[in-house]
Amino acid sequence: MVEPSIWTNPEGWKAIGAALAVGISAIATALAQREIGSAAVGAMIENEALFGKGLILTVIPEAIVIFGLVVALIIVG
Amino acid sequence: MSFLDTLKRSWNGLLGTRHIKGSRRGTANYSYLNARVRGMKSYLFPKETYPRLMNMEIDQIARFIQESAYKEDVDQLAQTYEGADLIEHALNRNLAESFTKLINISEDEPKYLITEYLRKFDVWNIKTILRGKQMNASPGEIKENLVSAGEYTYTFLSGLAEKESVEEVVEAFSDSSYYSILKKFDGTNLSDVENMLDKMYYDQLYYAVSETKTKEFKLFLQFVQTEIDVRNLITLFRTKKENLPEDEILDMMIDNGLVFDMDDIRKLVPLSFEEFIDELKKYSIWDKISDVVDPDMKSLISVETSLKKYALTYARKFAHANPLSIATIMYYILTKNNEVNNLRIVVRGKSAGLPDETIRNQLVI
Repeated sequence: MVEPSIWTNPEGWKAIGAALAVGISAIATALAQREIGSAAVGAMIENEALFGKGLILTVIPEAIVIFGLVVALIIVG
Repeated sequence: MSFLDTLKRSWNGLLGTRHIKGSRRGTANYSYLNARVRGMKSYLFPKETYPRLMNMEIDQIARFIQESAYKEDVDQLAQTYEGADLIEHALNRNLAESFTKLINISEDEPKYLITEYLRKFDVWNIKTILRGKQMNASPGEIKENLVSAGEYTYTFLSGLAEKESVEEVVEAFSDSSYYSILKKFDGTNLSDVENMLDKMYYDQLYYAVSETKTKEFKLFLQFVQTEIDVRNLITLFRTKKENLPEDEILDMMIDNGLVFDMDDIRKLVPLSFEEFIDELKKYSIWDKISDVVDPDMKSLISVETSLKKYALTYARKFAHANPLSIATIMYYILTKNNEVNNLRIVVRGKSAGLPDETIRNQLVI
């Protein structure tokens, strides 16, 4: 019996697609959070009252990776 | 930190200089720095404060300032000084602290640029000490005007203010780049030495920045060049009004302006005051000063104020157009410096008993 090739197995391609969807969107989130997070920390040092606003703004880019995760689950599911 | 760095840092400590120079390269975290600078900027007084200050007495102004961002400075100095002297010392201390803080919180590229720019205060301090010694001012009077925001520490500078003779002061700078100019000081040519120091500062700043062609360096260079333009124009107005000889005016001019390069300046210098004003109409800067310039004008205060305002407006527009860059930081440096100057004008004007109108005309708001 001939072993199925990894290039022709649709399950393999699906897994790679899901990984890319989560991975790339996670990198995008990280880049956005790096900038926002450091700015939020900077603003907080000068004015402690900005903690709440800084925290909310810092987590906003999480949406990007969540979309990536949803797409990945759709692909795999 | 390498062994060499440690050695250099201890050596700088011995010389009375701070180890502050950043590296030209490397990643700079502009988002962090900009957020902090904007936070610091929010503590500056709004425009509406100045009319209120005009209605106050010196002690009330001192109390007002004590309740603001200058609290710590006023508290610390309140035991040693009082009245206008207290405010002046507190303002200078706060200015030095704010700018030193900028250097401390920045790294790499912005640190390099801020450090280079703040050498302005080293030149200012050297000029203050020389001028004070020349006029036989007391060490206390000299210290009042020291702003240790540059490379030299306050301890080092106040030590110089205590020295007996000008020669001792000049010798203290024997390891610095200023020495080649300072050693030319013979007791009679103070204004020449001051001019040379200013020109040297701007030359060094221009060459330190113009070699690197990144976006931030280009932005910074435009700031510096605008400042050179404004300084040259103020000098031209003053010297033309006083009809000084051409070669003396040219000696005071600083090269590398943005609107006025040396060729433009050479064209402007031989003209009379009226012709000079006519010629200025060809330049873009004329719009900013046209309403206050008049060939028969007696006082240049309004022109100088308009030009300083122009520099501030230029910086503000630049900072808005280039967020997350060196422009925001430069705008803060200019506005903070301007705030301290304005407060100083109000306090000194009030304590000298000047009419409110005269003080108001001097303010750059």
